[in-house]
Amino acid sequence: MDDMELTKLWKQYDQTLERANILNLQSWVLHLQTLELLKTEKAKSRLRSLGNCKKGMIVIGILWVAFLIFLLANSIALSKVFFALSVAAVLGFSIYSVLAYIWHIVLIDEIDNSESLVEVQKKTATLKASTLNSTRILFLQTPFYSTFFWNWQWMSHDPKFWYIAFPVTLLLTAASIWLYRNIDIRNADKRWFKLLFSGKDWTSVIRAIKYLEEIEEYKKNSL
Amino acid sequence: MHPTDKERDFLQLILANKGIILKICQLYCPDRADREDLTQDIIYQLWRSAERYNKEYRFSTWMYRVALNTAISFYRADRRRTTLPLSPLHLTIEDAVNSIGTERLAGLQHCIQGLNELDRALILLYFEEKTYQEMAEIMGLSETNVATKLSRIKEKLKKCVQLRFKEN
Repeated sequence: MDDMELTKLWKQYDQTLERANILNLQSWVLHLQTLELLKTEKAKSRLRSLGNCKKGMIVIGILWVAFLIFLLANSIALSKVFFALSVAAVLGFSIYSVLAYIWHIVLIDEIDNSESLVEVQKKTATLKASTLNSTRILFLQTPFYSTFFWNWQWMSHDPKFWYIAFPVTLLLTAASIWLYRNIDIRNADKRWFKLLFSGKDWTSVIRAIKYLEEIEEYKKNSL
Repeated sequence: MHPTDKERDFLQLILANKGIILKICQLYCPDRADREDLTQDIIYQLWRSAERYNKEYRFSTWMYRVALNTAISFYRADRRRTTLPLSPLHLTIEDAVNSIGTERLAGLQHCIQGLNELDRALILLYFEEKTYQEMAEIMGLSETNVATKLSRIKEKLKKCVQLRFKEN
């Protein structure tokens, strides 16, 4: 089979599709009300496609940030310095997380489909993949969940602080830094990674990262 | 309700180029009901992007970009169908094999559908007799890269089609 035969086969395919009148857009597309309905309903369906899970995450995130602000506002005193600092740190990470989440959704929606295929697909995949990057940053807040109950008196009078509380914080700090450095698509085949990132939402993120690698490979001019 | 000039122009352009939409939907959506959904998505995306149409590019380049990007994203998405029960769309898409009629043509369609999303777009543009320059613009690749990839895709496609013929 040569190129001519292949092209001839395509032409037959093309003509058969035309003849089959598979897509009778004529009467449909000229119907303005249908176009109007399409415009409004598709816009709504894009919002629906965000899914209750994602919308729920945003609402929970905002409520959580509001709660932390309330806590912080009521704990600014020298006696509560560790509590205030811990809440402030967690608040910082939470605000980053909520904003990043909303920003990703907006950016994905704003992608200009009239750019080249490689460019658009790369942008879409990059945005989806960036969720993994946000998550590794969020792991850095973990140690602060073990410091909010620290106080000067406990530190200076109770040896348990140095034997238990402090080592736990050190351990969490080491674990969070390790996760921050190791959450990477190169480790996607490892068991701990699969355990950590199981579930449908994560599968699509991992797939986006792999797709990104495929696109980069595709751009290379190689046989 | 009367269409504005802008809407009328848009509808006419869609009609004049409906073959592009038809072929893209056929090649990216094996499922009949999804094809209807994709058709609606492409028209919606074309409408959304119409304001951003850059006259620096040919209309067909712009249309292929929007339609192919929508189809590829649609194909890759974990999605629930959101087809609107609009009528009269008359999307009487029969099963591909039945409507196409012959096993040879169904074999060709099957082999094209077996290519990855970007290769599928490239071979479609080749069959649509786009120049290397236009293919490169639509894909976002260099012309040399397009030529290299096309040669590889055609070989792959020929082998697949021949194999299908032998099997039948």
